[in-house]
Amino acid sequence: MRQSPVPQERKRFSLFGRGDNSTVLTVMVGFFIAVILVQIFSSVSDGALEYPSFISPENLLNILMQVSVVGIMAMGMSVVMIGGGIDLSVGMLASFVTLFLAKGTVDWGMGLIPSLITVIILAVVFEAAMGLAISRLNVEPFIITLGGMITFRGVALLICNSIEVSIWGALDPLKANLIEGAKGPSGLALVIPIYVLVFFAITIIIWWLMKYTKYGRRVYAVGANKNAAYLAGIGVKNMVLSTYALNGLLVAVAAIMLLARVNTAIITIGQNLEIDVIAATVVGGVAMSGGKGNIWGTFIGAIFLGAIANAMNIMRLQSEWQFVAKGIIIIAVVSAGAYVAARQARGQQRRQLKEEAAKTAK
Amino acid sequence: MSEEILQLSNISKTFPGVKALSDITFGLKPGEIHCICGENGAGKSTLIKIISGAYQPDKGGKILFEGKPVSIDNPHVPIQLGIQTIYQEHTIFPHLSITENIFVGMEITKNGIMQKDEMQEKTEKVLEYLHSTLKPDQLVDELSSGEQKIVEIAKALVLERKVIIMDEPTASFSVNEIDNLLEITKKIKERGIGIIYISHHLEEVFRIADRITVLRDGMHIKTCKVEETDVQQLIRDMVGRDASAFYHRDFFEPGEVVLEAKNLSGNGVNNISFHVRRGEILGFAGMVGSGRSELMTLLFGGAEKLGGSVSVMGEEVNFKNPSDAIKNKLCYITEDRQFTGLFLIHTIARNTMIANMVNTKGFTINPKEEVEIGDEYVKKLDTKAPNSQALAMSLSGGNQQKVVLAKWFNTNGEIFIFDEPTRGIDVGAKQEIYQIMMNLLKEGKAIIMVSSDMPEIVSMSDRIMVMKDGRIVGELTKEEVSEENILEYSIGGKKI
Repeated sequence: MRQSPVPQERKRFSLFGRGDNSTVLTVMVGFFIAVILVQIFSSVSDGALEYPSFISPENLLNILMQVSVVGIMAMGMSVVMIGGGIDLSVGMLASFVTLFLAKGTVDWGMGLIPSLITVIILAVVFEAAMGLAISRLNVEPFIITLGGMITFRGVALLICNSIEVSIWGALDPLKANLIEGAKGPSGLALVIPIYVLVFFAITIIIWWLMKYTKYGRRVYAVGANKNAAYLAGIGVKNMVLSTYALNGLLVAVAAIMLLARVNTAIITIGQNLEIDVIAATVVGGVAMSGGKGNIWGTFIGAIFLGAIANAMNIMRLQSEWQFVAKGIIIIAVVSAGAYVAARQARGQQRRQLKEEAAKTAK
Repeated sequence: MSEEILQLSNISKTFPGVKALSDITFGLKPGEIHCICGENGAGKSTLIKIISGAYQPDKGGKILFEGKPVSIDNPHVPIQLGIQTIYQEHTIFPHLSITENIFVGMEITKNGIMQKDEMQEKTEKVLEYLHSTLKPDQLVDELSSGEQKIVEIAKALVLERKVIIMDEPTASFSVNEIDNLLEITKKIKERGIGIIYISHHLEEVFRIADRITVLRDGMHIKTCKVEETDVQQLIRDMVGRDASAFYHRDFFEPGEVVLEAKNLSGNGVNNISFHVRRGEILGFAGMVGSGRSELMTLLFGGAEKLGGSVSVMGEEVNFKNPSDAIKNKLCYITEDRQFTGLFLIHTIARNTMIANMVNTKGFTINPKEEVEIGDEYVKKLDTKAPNSQALAMSLSGGNQQKVVLAKWFNTNGEIFIFDEPTRGIDVGAKQEIYQIMMNLLKEGKAIIMVSSDMPEIVSMSDRIMVMKDGRIVGELTKEEVSEENILEYSIGGKKI
């Protein structure tokens, strides 16, 4: 006799259907609504709009500019974390890249292009070296990349003698406005620099890589279960190594964009950047335990955190309070995601037990 | 029998879906060595865990200690009563000295100050009594596993325990160490300590036991004095199942040899030779820890080969990793689905596709094709899931096993290694898995099966290799396959 068919999964109410991103999307929409309401009320009381409002086209483009660097780095972090690792060194590696590039171009006379190529290769090699240690020696990635972070900081300081280095606009082409001359409703110029486009392009490439290639599938498999991955014919060690190398490439690209934006390299440029990058990644639904999450989620996570920071600036919240608010929002979003997942798992288990009970009753 | 220090009556233990023990009665006298015998899964460990407080028995049973009813509802109760369990794995602090290990948590103190000399003295006395050359201040780290067991016994003596439970104490011991441990065990029983001794090794049992209790499938079969039985009788008691426990299968005419190992060594196994043909199941029997899974991992390229040769379809192969094995049409259904078989947090479709990636060309994936193939296997294997987009973790054990099978079927393998194919799977799903194996044989595939489930290996195998301590100790042809013969080779230590 056939057993009764498994009950189809019950449709659950969700704004954005099934998937890991629904929590962060729901929170994000709620957040935007709240911001807009606050704005409407405050503008009514102020009676004037001196600054661009949050939902104005100028400001939305502004947010994109602000999140591009963190966003590109979050793409690399997502690949590393989906593969079961983590990288604390990205902030200091970014500092190193900017300083080396500025020094190489301005002081060492290497020329812009050779400096760019050298620094990209160096970043990839540094990350690959950490990946080598992590995959071959089986040391916790947390420890190795913590060591990497301190080392990169030291190397960067050695390069710059602890002073800032300007690149004198050598990277300005990356800032070029793609919609030169366009104006928003309030008369302010609209800006989409090339590096925002780079952010989008990298998002699409990494999204494609992780979703539509064997490489992506294997990274997910390694992050989910190393042993099973090995026995399924995957070269686990090289896979882990490759995620760090790829991350090095993306950190280098992000750091170049960062230098283009601010024009001056300084050791503090990448300080605490890893915190924002990891925050964007986990808010976007990538699991610290590996094997779970997706690039689209990370993209939303990066924009979400950027939007929060931007909105708090517009609302002229004290920077001390901004930290508190940002921290609580990160904790809340990730906890909410975990809670929803746990509830779904419990529901699943309950259904299964019911099924089994029905079976034994027969 | 009020003279018994420990009495268990009508003890049962039910786990979800399995009755591990039913109505067990067991008694232990002071100054007696009482051995418990049974196959893998007979319920020995469960019984020990109930006495040591790790498991709670079902309601209705009774435990008497020195004539008084006790309820052992946590691991501290037996310690207070004076029961010491010496587990198979060491529960020892390697960086502490022998004395410190013995008194850990029970230090002798005076006004809050440790009395080191007193503890040292007591330890020394007991070690002397045991004729041991160990010194009380030696670090346990430096001792062999045999010596570490003696420290645990010394601990029981120093703390004046009344009952000692030894679970497979001689695992990984040398011959001398075994002799020494058996001598010591006999010596301490003269102090009036009751000893429960569990071992796969029947020769040890007959050397030291006063009484023997046999368990089978969670049931008490018999308890008798050692003089009243012999090895043959004991094995019959351990295996005597009725015919309904066995399965019936069709046998096919085996075809060509597809895999042959000659003097294969590595990963803890030695000098292994065997071959397997199309259309047959070659069973690997033996006790847990006899090296069967290690051999399979070695065959599959998951460990370094130290000697010998393997040939697949007549050609010699040297697998550097599992990827090579998959390319050569091997499939490995491991014993631990969750740890080495499945990607629990991924969908059925993804699980299905992952192993075949070493065979497919190109860099990209066609998600539509992935779902189609996933759904196809869900249908083909009758996996109970809404569709191939369900997560592997949402499935029951039997259906998870089907996902593992789908992963390997999708590689178009020819040689299937099944390690404990039906462990933790309910009876209905078991039959389905057997049917799937039969279909493989009909298609001319070859199967190597490792199983500790006696009815399974006896009724499913064409031939059986019996392993012990990393070596093959016997080969049984179809006519010779029986529980008695397997046990004789694997625990009786019958030489070939």
